[in-house]
Amino acid sequence: MSDQTSETSRMRGLMLVAGREIRVRGLSKANIVSMIVTVVIVGILAALPSFLGGDDADEKIGLAGTGADAMQTQLDAMGGFDVTLFDSAAEAERAAEDGDVEAAVADGRVYSENGLDSAVQNQLDSAWQAASVQTNLGDAGLTDAQIAGALTVQPLESVTFGDDSGTDSITGYFTGLVISIIMFMMLMTPVQYIAMGVVEEKSSRIVEILLTSLKPWQLLGGKVIGLGVISLVNLVAMVAVGLGVASATGMLSDLPPGTASAAVSSIGWWLIAFALFGTLAGGVGSLVSRQEESGSVLTPLIMSLTLSYLGAIFLLNAPTSTFAVVLSIVPPFSGIAMPTRMAIAEVPAWQIGLSGVLLALAAAGALALGSQLYKRSVLYTGSRMKISEALRRAA
Amino acid sequence: MLEIKDLHKRFGDTVALDGVSLAAAAGEVVGFVGANGAGKTTTMRIAMGVLAADSGQIVYNGAPLGVEQRRRFGYMPSERGLYPKMKTAEQIAYFGELHGMTRAQARASAAALLEQLNLSDRAGDFVQDLSLGNQQRVQLAVSLVHDPEVLVLDEPFSGLDPIAVDVMGTALRDRAAAGAPVIFSSHQLDLIERLCDSVVIIGNGRIIASGTVEELKAKEVKQLRVSVDTDEDLTGRLPGTVTRDGDDYLVEDTDDQEVLRIAAAAGRVTHFAYDQPTIAEIFREAVTR
Repeated sequence: MSDQTSETSRMRGLMLVAGREIRVRGLSKANIVSMIVTVVIVGILAALPSFLGGDDADEKIGLAGTGADAMQTQLDAMGGFDVTLFDSAAEAERAAEDGDVEAAVADGRVYSENGLDSAVQNQLDSAWQAASVQTNLGDAGLTDAQIAGALTVQPLESVTFGDDSGTDSITGYFTGLVISIIMFMMLMTPVQYIAMGVVEEKSSRIVEILLTSLKPWQLLGGKVIGLGVISLVNLVAMVAVGLGVASATGMLSDLPPGTASAAVSSIGWWLIAFALFGTLAGGVGSLVSRQEESGSVLTPLIMSLTLSYLGAIFLLNAPTSTFAVVLSIVPPFSGIAMPTRMAIAEVPAWQIGLSGVLLALAAAGALALGSQLYKRSVLYTGSRMKISEALRRAA
Repeated sequence: MLEIKDLHKRFGDTVALDGVSLAAAAGEVVGFVGANGAGKTTTMRIAMGVLAADSGQIVYNGAPLGVEQRRRFGYMPSERGLYPKMKTAEQIAYFGELHGMTRAQARASAAALLEQLNLSDRAGDFVQDLSLGNQQRVQLAVSLVHDPEVLVLDEPFSGLDPIAVDVMGTALRDRAAAGAPVIFSSHQLDLIERLCDSVVIIGNGRIIASGTVEELKAKEVKQLRVSVDTDEDLTGRLPGTVTRDGDDYLVEDTDDQEVLRIAAAAGRVTHFAYDQPTIAEIFREAVTR
């Protein structure tokens, strides 16, 4: 048997195991339905801010009579209005009545079908006041320059006592939230499936037949890769739909710079975090012989995933705090915390790099520990094994 | 030729195997017999590489058995297992592929086995939806799908219905006829006697008897049984130690030709043969010795 052939058969074994996971789990009705539902939810979430932001179309306003020109200047300066000038108040009134314009302002009256939205009403009021003041001042004999000077007012400057580098954008917060939820879900689900799959093979003793033609690392690795591919397809579909919907509704340009790249890079963070949690789940799953016991060995993993998620949520409220910086660098929490933080704030490149390297190192450690645990305990049946006991055993 | 050489295995303070050796030549069917806990399963698991021996080795065709060769073996573990949520034909084919077949070969082989096992109409069903007996047949198909070079089967007949027993028996003989060494364990000694070329008896981790079926029987030969069609009582006239078993005479420690001459003179001899022990008797004899 040449090295090349055995290399091929090694890879083939790995791929066969992965392929089985993908066929049996990935193409199951349950997974396909849940993927469609999740993608639709992400699509709706991505479109939500633009719905909440309301109708962005300009308000159609008709103007006529005295002060119409001055008012047009005011409304244009405010923005968001599509102004039509009419020759007479009667024409403007008719346009409002026919619905050609939302409202018409003529000779001190506002005409509208059913009254106006209070925001629009306020804007029209202040435009009317400003225009009237301008007209009055002109009538009083001031020059245009004097009027302009008198009307120039500095807007109030806002000073807050909180962390003002925090989110100034509700959409950034929202994106961070969605990323942390998706990361959490996309780690939690496959991690549990891996542990369940390992226990299933162990409790049904099928592992005994499998291991006559496969090495333990092929069996564990194939399972992790298979579930990884299923989850990756889900994740890529979510990110693509999310970004696609956001760009179609014009939201993407309103998001903080780097949001789109944060969303895309979260796939990379997910890959490393998944390698970490997935192999550990396989390793600890092999310690037990019955499905009922898998919960107890998975608890530490599920706890640290949940803590990562809660930390990321907390981080959204203070993205530049020391807590946020530490959480997004220390593995395994950084797997969820870093892409969340990147969505909401500027993160220095060195922190991203350090976090990535640390997470990758932790994943490599998890890979070694998980596969050792698996190799040593997968054929052992009986009561639950302790980790130390598994590591003491000869493989 | 598959040789298991001088295996030793301890589980804690328990000695499971204490120098177990056995061999199956090409085309030979070896029955592996022993009481529960005697070491059959441990021996077979070590042979299949799912358990490590403390010492001893497995030799296949003159060289230590490697992973690649073992992939071409067929194995049925004592505790059966299948993926419950995988379709029958898909599952059998999957194992074929794991054993190195191409997808097309594996599918064709799975279909042929399902046909042979009368399971073709269940090919698309999940294994968990099959009856226990049918799951056993699928298990059998899994161990045969890749046309194995060697068969190591732990209790292959347990839980099988008579039809499946026939299919299994035929499969074993067919594999042997094609040149494969076959080792299987069973408590059904009549099956062992019918199917095996040789028998290995294990007790408390040691091989206590082994040989071809004829050799074992010859070792355990008992009395000469003679049945004569006559009203005369021959007890006093026959040489050696004579006892009666119903109408038959059981004769020991004498010249059988002399017995035959006297019996033939007395009447028509309807039976004249040495009693042959069954494998079951040999087994009982061996383990109680």
